Amino acid sequence: MLDFTEASLKKVLTRYNVALEKAMTPEDAAEELYPKDELIYPIAKAIFEGEEDDVVEGLQAAMDAGKDPITLIDDALMVGMGVVTKLYDEGIIFLPNVMMSADAMLNGIEFCKENSETAPVTKGTVVCHVAEGDVHDIGKNIVTALLRANGYDVVDLGRDVPIDEVVASVVANKPLMVTGTALMTTTMYAFKEVNDKLLEKGIKIPFACGGGAVNQDFVSQYALGVYGEEAADAPKIADAIVAGTTDIAALRNKFHKH
Amino acid sequence: MAATRFTKMAYANADEMSFGVSKHPVKAGLGLEIGAGYTIPEVNYAPRPEAGASKEKLVKEYERITTDIMSRMVQVGFPAVILETEHVQQMSNNPSWGAEVAHAQKTIMEEYHDEYGIKCALRHTIGDIRENRDFLQLRGDKYSVFLEAFEQCAKSGADLLSVESMGGKEVFDHAVLRNDIPGMLYAIGCLGSMDMEMIWSDIAAIAKKTGTVAAGDTDCAQANTAMFIAGGLLDKNLAHTLAILARAISAPRSLVAYECGAKGPGKDCGYENIIIKAITGMPMTQEGKTSTCAHSDVMGNLIMQCCDCWSNESVEYHGEFGGTTVQCWSETLAYDCALMNTALETKNEKVLRDLFMLSDRYRDPQSYVLAYDNAYRVGQAIVKDGDNIYLRAKNAAIACCDIVSEGAAGKLELSRFETKALADAKASLDSLTDDMDTFMDDCLTKYKSEVKVFLPENYGF
Repeated sequence: MLDFTEASLKKVLTRYNVALEKAMTPEDAAEELYPKDELIYPIAKAIFEGEEDDVVEGLQAAMDAGKDPITLIDDALMVGMGVVTKLYDEGIIFLPNVMMSADAMLNGIEFCKENSETAPVTKGTVVCHVAEGDVHDIGKNIVTALLRANGYDVVDLGRDVPIDEVVASVVANKPLMVTGTALMTTTMYAFKEVNDKLLEKGIKIPFACGGGAVNQDFVSQYALGVYGEEAADAPKIADAIVAGTTDIAALRNKFHKH
Repeated sequence: MAATRFTKMAYANADEMSFGVSKHPVKAGLGLEIGAGYTIPEVNYAPRPEAGASKEKLVKEYERITTDIMSRMVQVGFPAVILETEHVQQMSNNPSWGAEVAHAQKTIMEEYHDEYGIKCALRHTIGDIRENRDFLQLRGDKYSVFLEAFEQCAKSGADLLSVESMGGKEVFDHAVLRNDIPGMLYAIGCLGSMDMEMIWSDIAAIAKKTGTVAAGDTDCAQANTAMFIAGGLLDKNLAHTLAILARAISAPRSLVAYECGAKGPGKDCGYENIIIKAITGMPMTQEGKTSTCAHSDVMGNLIMQCCDCWSNESVEYHGEFGGTTVQCWSETLAYDCALMNTALETKNEKVLRDLFMLSDRYRDPQSYVLAYDNAYRVGQAIVKDGDNIYLRAKNAAIACCDIVSEGAAGKLELSRFETKALADAKASLDSLTDDMDTFMDDCLTKYKSEVKVFLPENYGF
């Protein structure tokens, strides 16, 4: 069978992921970012490792030591998740690590809520849905997990969501943005109708859209559309809105890559 | 019919395999014999979204598409073509729509065949409509409509019947985002295989009744989801070593169609088809560099190595500088086939096969395992326990891990991350029981609890 020599192979292809891999291991990189507080450290580490039981154990220890459960959401759980999202953004860890950490964090938040009389304050609400007629929801599930991991309250409408239901949810929940995902070109046209019905009601919030067949040219055709090429763009768009960039043109300028 | 399991390989060794030649050629459509010594372009397309507004508009759109392709094939002098119509949901939810489209397309194809003698066949891929807004609904009313769509299309002109079925997807979507190897094994290898056995027994019966060909399935819903999430070299969403693990596990799952009466050619996006060809000797359609109109992959040349039909996956119908998209892509496919057929006629097919294979062999762990010699080894691991759907899926996964590890000891470069993901996966596989009942019971309990959209009754539990 034909084969390359080591030298000839290098003239044909380059595995850039190997060539450019960071020297530091994920664990080493995370260690540098954990808070030093001895009560917070184990919680943040357990979040990074996606260990739900260890998160709850750490939270219980912190509460036993007098920490307020709701304060722990921001000071421990979100800090741990911050380590995770930072390393994901830097390409040091991969999405499944984020998903497992998000599961552990949400479990931790529930535990904190159960142990408190007051409700936590989030960065804002985002309504998420999969286009009407489309049942492919893995992209939406990633988007909702990443948004929650970044401190947003998510109203997850699920998949194959009727246009009017999206609009009604926006009216009821007053989110800072809506997300829409679709795999198929045949279903993504529902986004235009959501856009038009939101505008009819005078609602002008960003409508972040992405997924399989969705592309920037299509999303740019409707007034509220902001294209997200990757699921990880969703929390970044939300962060930009929270930071004051609410103008659609400005968001497009920031997030449209093509 | 009950599944007749494959417990031995169709080919004595990997080197016996080639493009354009299969052990069991399939006659279909208007003069075609697939896998009988020549490769065939298989063109796939999607209507413009606005064409789905009514049945009349949709039928008209497919008439345009069909005429464009047939016309271009004749204009440039290509001897054979397959058209694949992947149903938009309206065509499967309303079986009469799919039937009218099939009839309209076949009428045009017959005209071209009669006038020019061009050999051709029509594949209809029914949409897996067995779901509602909240859950997969694999059995019940939707299943009846699903089968009706097959039957009506078969009676109205479709020659080859296919589907991209979704059994196991609800568990897989959860597992793949959590590096959960047992979950992937359960979803694809067990749940997927069980659903495949149900649907392909029925599809094969419809094919027999209508004189058409039960062609095959693909694990698009799962293994391609993994491949898509894994993405390119710099994407950080899934280790490519796990994506190929999902692919290896998908081979025994997609194999079930052929154990229940399917004859091939297997569906284009089943990158696992090289393994299935090695086991069954049946012809397979593949896609690679010519499907960049639909998605990227890391084995665009390699995957041509043993194809019988060569596809573009899907392209939306619209205009390009060189004609409509279906004309441009059908011509590209047909030229690739002309090159492969020239190699076959001049007895150079093994050289060309190996050039295709080698150009991508070390590009990625996915391409490394799907190189025909390694794919053959995965096939051997599957047939070793061919009668046990769990063990053969587990065997495929372990063989995949071993092949990648061996490759990494040589010229296949892995990142540390890919290496660790592989080691974790191998450790997870090594810790699994060999007893199918124990594995199934444990997984049923676990995923009923963890995956809220998992309904065991979909699988007859």
